[in-house]
Amino acid sequence: MQELEIAVHEQACRGCQMCVDVCPTKVFEFDEEKRLCVVKHAEDCIACLSCAYICPSGAITHANYHVVKNFYRDLAFCKKMEKTI
Amino acid sequence: MPDLNESRASLQETMTFLGAIASGLEEAIGESANSISYLAGKRLGMQLSSGIEKTGDIELALISVRKVLLDNGCLWHFEAFKTHDRPEMVQPSDDGQDINLVFRDCMIRQSLFTFGHHQKGSLCNMMFGFFSGALQNIMGHDSTLEILHAGENACYKRLIIHSGENGARKAVTQ
Ligand code: SF4
Ligand code: SF4
Repeated sequence: MQELEIAVHEQACRGCQMCVDVCPTKVFEFDEEKRLCVVKHAEDCIACLSCAYICPSGAITHANYHVVKNFYRDLAFCKKMEKTI
Repeated sequence: MPDLNESRASLQETMTFLGAIASGLEEAIGESANSISYLAGKRLGMQLSSGIEKTGDIELALISVRKVLLDNGCLWHFEAFKTHDRPEMVQPSDDGQDINLVFRDCMIRQSLFTFGHHQKGSLCNMMFGFFSGALQNIMGHDSTLEILHAGENACYKRLIIHSGENGARKAVTQ
């Protein structure tokens, strides 16, 4: 898999710093001048996705990360959608 | 693929059942449910790892634990993780050494989410117990698996091997 990518979209960020608080590996930093959050240590991201879930503006996106397989979906539904569980 | 689907379906059923038991226990006896899950996990860890080669090296021990989990169809994928500011993967701690682990696919998390139960509850203690039992067999030391962060797509934990003076004493008296 390629290297994980994480981005904070400047136009969407409102500077609430919830991502800074939730991140267990201190990936973000608050830019005092811009009053926005920026990605400081992308290499430390474990792709827990807590920041993306908590961000009220949906400003954080990830790419090239392992998505946990959800095997608790209805089996018949998965078959219909031609998805493996 | 049908085999995989079948084994996942039975894993799902087992986990659904376990999730219901854990939540019932938490409601009935409160925090004591944690000890029950821990001990159940520890017994499982000891049983499944009996006969595994002993080692004093954490990273080798973790490879063995991963193999034990895989061989027994347990969906608990984990890997060691080092942030940029941590000098070494394995670091000395007060009472031995520690290493940080990222858990990605986890049958416990999936089961909790399905029923809307919270993370870090008694079922998560089962994993702590499992590691403790397996590492007791493999490394001969007591250990602690501390949840640093329980996330939606991955969890971050610190594994402490109590191999220092206090830890060795603890392991002997257990
Ligand atoms: S949680 Fe979202 S809006 Fe708040 S600071 Fe972080 S990126 Fe910006
Ligand atoms: S996904 Fe998790 S580790 Fe990565 S930046 Fe977000 S909160 Fe931090």
